[in-house]
Order: sequence, then structure tokens, then C-alpha cells
Amino acid sequence: MASQTLDSGSKRKRRKQAPEAEGSSGALYPKWYWPSFTSPGAVWLVFLFLLPFYTILAVAFGTVDPAFQTPLPVFQPWWWSFQTFSTTLQKFYGDPAIFQQPAIRTFLYVFTASMICLVVGYAVAYYAARYAGKYRILILILLVSPFWISYLMRIYAWQSLLQPDGYINRFLEAIGVIGQPVNWLAGKPITVILGLVYGYIPFMILPLFGSLDRINQSMLEAGRDLGAGPSQTFRRVTLPLSKPAILAGLVIVSLPMFGDYYTNNLLGSTKTSMFGNLIDDAVSESGRGPEAGSLVLILMVIVIVPMLYYLRETKRAAEEA
Amino acid sequence: MSDATLTAVRPVAAAPGGWFRNPWRKPRFLQAITIGYLFWSLVPVVIAVLFSFNAGRSRSTWQGFSMRWWTGDQFDSLFHDPALRAAMLQTFKLSTITVLIAVPIGTAFAIGIDRWHGRPAQPANFTMLFSFVVPEIILGVSFFLLFTYVIKSMIPLGTTAQSLGLITFQMSYPVIIVRARLLSIGPEYEEAALDLGAKPNQALRRVLLPLLAPAILASVAVVFADSVDDFVTVRYLSGAANTEPLSVKIYGAARGSPTPAVNAAATVMLISTMLVIVLGYLLYRKVSKGSGDANVASFAQL
Amino acid sequence: MGEGHRDLSRRTFLRRAGAAAVAVPSLSAILAACSKPGSTSGGASAIASIEIARPDNPVTLPLNGDPIAAGTALEAGPLQLYNWDSYLYKKIIAAFEDEFNVQVDLTTFNNQEEGIQKVVAGQVQPDVFFVTTDYISRLVQKDLIQPLQHDMLPNMEATVWKTFWDPGPWYDTGWRYTVPYTIYTVGVEFRRDRIEDSVAFEQGYELLWDPAYKGEVVYYDSYRDALGMAMVKNGATDPNTGDQATIDQAKQDILTLLNDQDGVLKINGAFALLPEGQFTVAQSWSGDAVGAQFYLPKGTSPDVLGYWYPDDHKGLISNDTITIPSTAKNPALAHAFLNFLLDEKWGYINFRDWNGYQPPFTTIDPGTLVSDGVIPPGLSKAVVAEDMFVEGLIQGQLTPEVDKRWLDAWGEIKAGG
Repeated sequence: MASQTLDSGSKRKRRKQAPEAEGSSGALYPKWYWPSFTSPGAVWLVFLFLLPFYTILAVAFGTVDPAFQTPLPVFQPWWWSFQTFSTTLQKFYGDPAIFQQPAIRTFLYVFTASMICLVVGYAVAYYAARYAGKYRILILILLVSPFWISYLMRIYAWQSLLQPDGYINRFLEAIGVIGQPVNWLAGKPITVILGLVYGYIPFMILPLFGSLDRINQSMLEAGRDLGAGPSQTFRRVTLPLSKPAILAGLVIVSLPMFGDYYTNNLLGSTKTSMFGNLIDDAVSESGRGPEAGSLVLILMVIVIVPMLYYLRETKRAAEEA
Repeated sequence: MSDATLTAVRPVAAAPGGWFRNPWRKPRFLQAITIGYLFWSLVPVVIAVLFSFNAGRSRSTWQGFSMRWWTGDQFDSLFHDPALRAAMLQTFKLSTITVLIAVPIGTAFAIGIDRWHGRPAQPANFTMLFSFVVPEIILGVSFFLLFTYVIKSMIPLGTTAQSLGLITFQMSYPVIIVRARLLSIGPEYEEAALDLGAKPNQALRRVLLPLLAPAILASVAVVFADSVDDFVTVRYLSGAANTEPLSVKIYGAARGSPTPAVNAAATVMLISTMLVIVLGYLLYRKVSKGSGDANVASFAQL
Repeated sequence: MGEGHRDLSRRTFLRRAGAAAVAVPSLSAILAACSKPGSTSGGASAIASIEIARPDNPVTLPLNGDPIAAGTALEAGPLQLYNWDSYLYKKIIAAFEDEFNVQVDLTTFNNQEEGIQKVVAGQVQPDVFFVTTDYISRLVQKDLIQPLQHDMLPNMEATVWKTFWDPGPWYDTGWRYTVPYTIYTVGVEFRRDRIEDSVAFEQGYELLWDPAYKGEVVYYDSYRDALGMAMVKNGATDPNTGDQATIDQAKQDILTLLNDQDGVLKINGAFALLPEGQFTVAQSWSGDAVGAQFYLPKGTSPDVLGYWYPDDHKGLISNDTITIPSTAKNPALAHAFLNFLLDEKWGYINFRDWNGYQPPFTTIDPGTLVSDGVIPPGLSKAVVAEDMFVEGLIQGQLTPEVDKRWLDAWGEIKAGG
């Protein structure tokens, strides 16, 4: 008779006499039905997501080929060597702490950029959600459009404007703010920070917009009825209601920034190098494969807390829905 | 704008701000910020597109109008430079492959996860979301090391490796989008179909999938656009020059000394993405018979 | 994995370990792992079956096989080239395509290490590989390049300086594996419309560190050239030194350059930055300086370009080579291409019309290059003559320990201040 085994590997197309198994919907789905939907994706993830992560470990704790200094991954944990990892770690706090500045810089830039994203993004989202009126659709389309313009192209566009003979300098000279052309691309933190803001702020605006948009009108009316003025209503009704979106937005914006190296490569210099640059340099140079793996591991440890937080919040939001 | 009419009875329309009696200055201020932001956000891109028509080599000093970087120059223009032409081809190839594989797998995954409440569902779901939030450089470097030093002969760097990397990275988008839609649909429709005698596959095909069509379309658009623009993973997994898509070429040129041909290449990327989005949106409208708001709201879910 | 990992990573660690048991590691990784991985410091005994070559210690590379037969028919292509970015005139490629009726594909790398990495890993499999002299012996040792068939390269003896084929260069006596591509010096390029020649010639290398040009200085993003020039500036006479103090001093100087002078490191397209006016002083290969004249905005005279190299010729000087990898699918065609580049006409056009890098041809008289208008007068010090190689400081292969010191210093530089 048709089996009732929870066989998650079976193919979706196989038809069987569907036994009265409890699918989650309570309807007449066989037990293997839904798992078989997830299996292609799950198998893919195992091989092309978990396996690469293990490769990182294997390379970080592996060794190098003496001739060309290419990394030799070591898969058996008992052969692992933690020498390179500890050397790399020491470059953050030891003597000389050559990775310390980039690490500190990264936190600083990410924090500053995220805050700017939050303030500006909140203002824009608030306006678009509550005051846009008949221009709402248009503004929305314009707000969404940076998503569909390549990040590279947007930063490249800024790179052109920030050239010594570019329009930014001409504009600033014309209004008298600066006396002669400033080389914005020669390792200035402000350039890199604003570049990060420019690149990632759309990721902040949309969740905020979604949340502010959904705030029930009646809540605000209730506040007003109870005597709250505009700013009080904002502080005590709107802001708390949008808090989940703020936190989600902050996480979505800051996580990619931690791994960002291209913004600095295009808009900054070694003076403003970030953690991502350390990884990118280590990958491209010979002999530093294990170091690259170690740096990736360290980065993962840094971002894992906000990531887990975000995942937990998403799960909670999904369950509440 | 909206603080003009202040009839005491709450206005029906989409001008909730007018509801506050005081001529509250903030809307002006917020309005200025918003317009300023939109300007700051989009004008540089417009300028970059315009400079692709520059007559000289510079991308910051206008030297006259010319088509030389598009078709004119015999060696360096976008359509004559074999490297840039190959790059355009590669961009579209990768995006198409990624969409064709990531969207079905992701959609199936979303459906399965939503309906399946067994214990292994949680880690699978977790891993999928994990792949969404992880910084791309981690994935990119992992893949590079995997394909270069582990699975050496089996999968050479190039289109295959790039596709595998891209699909892995993009797979989570359809999952998230379709899942959101599933949550709002609920299981009632399929249950009704099953009660009426449909077999599971029939219920799926004829009830659930059509309901999911808008979300699937949105996923196609998102995955395509993101694949065109992706360059971190793709760059690490590139082999020979003809496997480098436009995004990688633009990055390489931007680090060195780019000509306006790079602006032209970026414009091509821009146009192609816009076309796909618009197309997706039109199809979406047709399929869902919903208003434009529904489209935007689903994007806002990201 | 040491201190303070969370529950989650332990669980995923176990899961990964399980996945790894399923995964199939490559054979070499297994072997490497089974035989207890060697010390990470890289045992010197592991490589050196070929000793390190130096100009005063020429090396004959062992033959790792036979060259292809002299009469081999030309393949149909397409011919795969692997070269630096912007180092070969596209017109030359087009001319070759026309003459031999084949297609030629050019893949580029940004710096030599990247190119080597990809060829060694087999990720790029070219027919023609342009490479610096310090990698030749390692490529031979790993059987990555093949011996050349001299009968298919008649232009070598017809056109190239005798020293490259009789007795042959110090890194490849008897020219078994290489032909030369270009010769160049490493000096300082500057804008003559902003700095007087006399001022520049007196300061020499120090021009890059002159605070007057803060924010307008470019340096090469390539560790041998970058550290090498700083060392020579400080008076070093051995460009392959392993002396830690010399390396540290050079490293400090470059950090000063980047942090106090707001200098930037660039490699790709660096040659176009000075003519476009964004920078005033740049570390430059002589060929980049000469080639810069083609990147000047319309209406700007080539006279604005200047170049300095020490008059006693005790500066960095070198040549690049062309090789044919062992895995080449079109070896005969590759030989034809090498011969094409050594042709006095095509090699000269490559140099004169686009590249700026001199090929070591007997048909090119360094003395007349300026007067013939090939090289602008301001760049007269960019001319490379054969006798300059006598006193010049030539960079060669480094031992793994020394290389590690250079790379460590470079890693610190790239991490920023």
C-alpha cells in the first residue's frame, strides 16, 4: 500500500494514492509533498552555501603551496593549523596592529553612514507616506528607481562628479565655498561615508515607507483626541510604531556596508580602507589565502549578531502576520 | 500642498497631513528634504548617461556632443570594442540563466516551507534567509576559493561558476517575495479545491500558481535586475575576459582611467534593467488586475 | 577554533563537518592533508630545483619537453592572449587577424600576481602569456610554459638585440622559453607645465614626497615596483634585497606618501591620469610616460609631459617577456604571433603609435627617437638604450622568505594608516 514515510527526497512529479496524511493545511496532501518542494532549494544550499563556508575554514586553517604561494585547503579538522588565524587576529590588537585602523574606520563609517541613512531616510519616507498627496505614485517610483540602477553605476556617476575638474568642485567654487578645486577622491572619509549613504539609503527608505504607510490613521486621531500636539503624536505614536522598521532598516543597511570594499576603491584610497578592502586585497595577492579566509571568518563573527537578530525579527513578523 | 484646505471634517482623500490644524511648517521642510534627496539620488545618474555622448575622453568635462563612444570609434566604442560587446552578451546570458533557475527553485522552496511544518523546515528556512543577509563578499570569496582550489577541474571559473554563484545569492529573493504573498493568500483556496475533488498537483497548478503569478513576476524582475547589477560574486568567479560581464568591466575601468564608453556601457545596463522592470510591471498589472499600489507594496516588502 | 564561539557556530560547524564528509576534496588537497601539511613558512627545500637567476648569475632553464616541430601547421584559432591591461595595440591584433585569417581574443589581468594566480590554477588557459622575468623559472618548474621552436621565430635574430638570443638573457640563457616584449625603466613622471625641469631633475625621486604636490601624487599599486623604488630612493643598490631594515624604511616612506601626501595607489590606466591633469607627479614606467601623449586632451601639447630617471642609470630597469603556456591549444599559431610582434614593422608600430614601450630592436636607434618626433622632447630621459642595462638595477625572483617580507610590508601599506 502507499507508504506514509516522510520521504523528503522524492520527486514532486510522482503521483501516489494520496493517503490521509496531515499536511499543515489540514488538507489531503501526502506527507512527502511539501518537503519535496523545498528539497531542490535545500540541496542547492547545502552544496553551494554550506560547502563554500566549510571551504573558508579549510583555507583559513590550511597552508600554502611553496612555489606559487597558492592556498592549499585542508579539509580534515585534525590537520588544521591555527597559526595564520591567530597571526591575523593579532594584527588587530597586537604589535604592530596594522588591521586595527581599518577595523575602527569600518565601524565608524558604517555607524555614521547608517545614522545619516536613518535621519534622511526617515524624513523622506515620512513625507512620502503622509504628505505626498497626488504625487505619491510618482515619488514612490522615483524612490524605488535607485534599486534598479546598478550600485556601480551610481557610485561611478559620483566618481565623475567628484573629479578635480568635475561639477561638484565647479559648483562649490561658483558659490564660493572653496577657493580652488579639492581632490575629493584622495582618501577623504567624508567622500566614502557619503558614498555609502548614497548607495544604501534606498534600503532604508522602503521599509520605513512601508511601515509608516501602514500606520493606522485612527491611531493618530486617537492621539490627537487625547490632546497630543503634532510633535508629541510623532514621538509617542508614530515613532514607536515604526520602531521595528527602523531596526530592520538599520540592519539591512549596515550589514552590506561591513563587507563593502568597492565604494572605497572607487571613491577613496588606502587611507580610508575598510574591512572589506582587507579581505579583497588578501584574496588577490599571492600567499595570503589563509589570511583571507581568516579575515572572512572574523567578518562573519562580527556580523552574525545583527544577522541573527534580523532573522529572528523577520520570523516573528512572519508569524504575527 | 496638503496643508491648504483645512475644513474641520476630516477630508476623505489622500491628504492626511491636512488633518492637523496648524500650518505645521514641517511639511515644507520635509518636502524640501525629499525633493533634495530625489535630486541628489537621480541627477548624477542622468549626468553620467549624458556624458556617454561626450566628444572628448573626459567624463567630467563636457567637450561637445558625439556618438563616438557608442558606435563611432573603431576600437574603443561600445559596439566595436570586442571586449565590451562580449561583456554585454555575458551580462544578459548570466541574468537569463539565473532567472530561469533561481525563480523556480526559490518559488518551490517558498511554497514548501510555507506549507510544511515539520522540524527540518526551520533550519532550511533559516539557511535561506541567512543567504539573504550575509554580506556578499563573504559568499563571493567562499565561492572563489571553492571553485579555484577545491572543485578545480570539475567547474572552471567562467559562466558556469558565475551562474552557480549568482543563483545561490539570488535564490532568496523569490523565496521572500513569494512567501510574503503566500502569507496574504492563506490556504483556503487550495483547501476548497481539494474539497471539490482536485488532486494535489491540480490544486497547485490551477489554484495556487495563478494566485502567485504576481509574486513570481515580481521575483523575475527583481532577480534579473539584481543579476545585471551584481558584480562582487561575479568578479571573483570570472575566468577569461569574455566571461566578464559589464558590471565587472565597469568596475575595472572605473578603478583605472575610464572613457565615456564605460558610461555608455552603464547606460545599456540601466536601460535593460528598466525595460525588464517596466515589462514585469505591465505583465503584473495584466495578471493581477490590481492597482499600481500593490506592485510597489510588494517591492516595499524587500 | 578558540575562544568564544557561540552555540550556533558549533552546531553549524558540526553540520559543515558532516557536509564535508560528503563533499569530495580535490586529490591534491587530500595528498597535502594526508602528508601532514608542510610548515606555513614554506620550506625552501620544497622548490629550488632551479636556482634563482640574477644578471650576474645567468641560469639555463632545463627543458621540460620538446618544442613543437618546426613545420607544424598553423591551427585555426581562436588565439587566446593573456596580457596586462592596455599593453597591446588593438590595431596590431587586428592586423594579425587579417594576415592569418584567425580570430584573436585578448584577456587582461591588472597585475602580474593576478595573472599568475589564474594561469597556475588553470582558470585561464591562454596560448600566449605575457609575464615578467621573475616568474619564468617557477613556470618552467611547474611545466606551465613550453620550450620555443626557434625555427618558427626568425624575427628574433633578425630584429632583436643580440644579447637576448646570443647568449640569451640572464633569466633564460639560450632563449629556450621566452622572447622579450618591451624594455623600460622606472622613474618619475611629472607635468612640465607645473614643475620646472630643473627643479624636477634635481629632486628626482623626492619629487613624489614633496609636500608642495600633496594630493596630486600617484604611485603604483604593485608591490615590487612600489617598494623597489622607495628602496632605490633611499640608496639601496640591491633591488632584490631581503634586508628587513631596508624593507621597513621603504614601507615607512610609502606610508608617508599615502597618508601625509594624500597619494593614491593606482595601476590600471595610471598612464592616463597625468595627461588628463588630475595628478602632477607619478611613479611611472618609461613606456607609460611616452604613451601618455596619446591621452592628452585635445589641444594640449605633448610638451607638458616630463620624465626623470637617474643620469648615472642606477635606477630600476627591466624587460617583459612573452611565453607560450604548455596547455596552449594553438601553439603554432602562438609562435606565429610571437614572430609577428617581433617583426620590425609591427613591433615598432605598437610602440610608436600607441604603447609607448620600446621593444629591444636593433632597427630602432634610441639616439634618434626624440629627433624623429617619436618621443616628445620633455621625455628624453624615457629613452631606453642597451648600455643602461649595465648599471641598471634589475629586479628578479625572490626567495620565499624574502618575498614574504616584501608582501608583509605591502600588506601593511594596503591596510592604510
